[in-house]
Amino acid sequence: MTRWIRFVAAAFTGLTGLCCAAILAMVVIILGDILVHGWDRLSWEFVSAEPRVGMTEGGIFPAIFGTVVLVLLMTLAVVPLGVATAVYLHEYARQDSRLVHLVRLALQNLAGVPAIVFGLFGLGFFIQFAGEGIDKVFFGGKLAFGQPCLLWAALTLAVLTLPTVVVATEEALRAVPKSYREAAYAMGATRWQVVRRVVLPQSIGGMLTGAILAVSRGAGEVAPILFTGAAYYLPYLPKKLNDQFMELGYHIYVLTTQSPDVEATKPILYATVLVLLMVTFGLNFAAILVRSRIRRRLRQT
Amino acid sequence: MTPILEVQGFTAGYGGRDVLASVSIELFEHEVLGIIGPAGSGKTTFLRSLNRMNDLDPRFHAYGTIRYRGIDLYRDPVDVAVLRRKLGMVFAVPVPLPGSIWQNLVFGPELNGRTAALDERAERSLRAAYLWDEVKDRLHSSAFALSGGQQQRLCLARTLMLEPEVLLLDEPCSGLDPISTAKIEEALAALKAQLTVVLVTNNVLQSSRVADRTAFFLTGKLVEVGTTRQLFVNPREQMTAEYISGRFG
Repeated sequence: MTRWIRFVAAAFTGLTGLCCAAILAMVVIILGDILVHGWDRLSWEFVSAEPRVGMTEGGIFPAIFGTVVLVLLMTLAVVPLGVATAVYLHEYARQDSRLVHLVRLALQNLAGVPAIVFGLFGLGFFIQFAGEGIDKVFFGGKLAFGQPCLLWAALTLAVLTLPTVVVATEEALRAVPKSYREAAYAMGATRWQVVRRVVLPQSIGGMLTGAILAVSRGAGEVAPILFTGAAYYLPYLPKKLNDQFMELGYHIYVLTTQSPDVEATKPILYATVLVLLMVTFGLNFAAILVRSRIRRRLRQT
Repeated sequence: MTPILEVQGFTAGYGGRDVLASVSIELFEHEVLGIIGPAGSGKTTFLRSLNRMNDLDPRFHAYGTIRYRGIDLYRDPVDVAVLRRKLGMVFAVPVPLPGSIWQNLVFGPELNGRTAALDERAERSLRAAYLWDEVKDRLHSSAFALSGGQQQRLCLARTLMLEPEVLLLDEPCSGLDPISTAKIEEALAALKAQLTVVLVTNNVLQSSRVADRTAFFLTGKLVEVGTTRQLFVNPREQMTAEYISGRFG
């Protein structure tokens, strides 16, 4: 009997270990494949020049630039909105109210909507409704914002990543001890003062975690920007919010499926994937750096 | 003499269950009222009703009246933020806010912009809490670096920064060493000259040492209240006698 138990224990340990190893192997294989095939094509020209000769030569700088600007704009939009939503849900709303249940339900559903649906939503709501409305009211019907562009793509991505930010922020708000709030209330703080002076400073790390997760998610999505702003090919950089832009993920899609010469673009494709990964990691790393600096500053005082 | 706090037929509780049953008691200026009673007797609920801290619990309900200087706290329009400055509270567990000793002290004054002469007020509050000598050279170091007893005295000093008229203390020495406890008791004895103190305590002897009058709570009812001397030497109720002699609780 004991032998049998020991055998089961050992088998289970082995099985769980194997699962870990399998995941590790997948990551290594994927990254290794990309590195091996993409590394040679990587050069300064590749990351600093625009595509040429039907995208079989030159670089991908417009796509890198577009991706970074897109993700930054998305972060600027989603973090304030998500944080404000979480603060309202957790600090202001009555926890048993119907509205809170409804908003939570909506957020959960939002998190489960396929990315392409966000793309269609962006096209219908932002471009055709908001954009064309702005054109009618402010530009006398001239085409300005009623078209796919950087602004609408960033906002579409912001809607997509909103649940991530709200959930992470709420988690952080929940982690602020009740005793801190009570102490502040007992010193005559109003609710806003408690939020502003005690709760928000304490949960800023969690908010930035939400931002980091949103960046990871947003930087890799192609479907939401297909109809809302990403361009097939643009030799110049976007200068205004209502310009179209190239984006790495979409560029990869284009290279894979639309290229006139698939074999010729293969090295470029691999190198582009490598750059996309590096940009995503880079943006993540920057956000993590910001978070650790803020945490350190908080700890010092 | 008119009482500063007047509680009449006050019944309160959480989620439909009453924790306090028709409590009536008066508090006079410049006295220390000790509140004793076993766990679950409603002492803390009573204390937190006085500065409306119970409002933070959405399941809280209350009937009856509490008058503070004639104002009905549960019927008249009351700004609870202002009220809680007048009736400052110190909790059972010391809760320094993240930040330096100084930041803890100025937290309250900064909330309503009363930031004149902060240095003097901070020194006065720290001296009154018997903490000044221990922290005067490190006001800008973290409040978490203090010992538990020092943290609690910091919380007392922080509350004194609000210049309250009443001090509500919820078992302030429950986790403290005898020396810190003695310092807080000394501080209370001296503070009585300026303000009124309500001291909830699990420690019967603490009430006998510090309080001018002592009230005994049991299962949400005020069993009896009298001068500390009378209550300890010659209690009117059988239950009081049993509790203070340590036969239950």
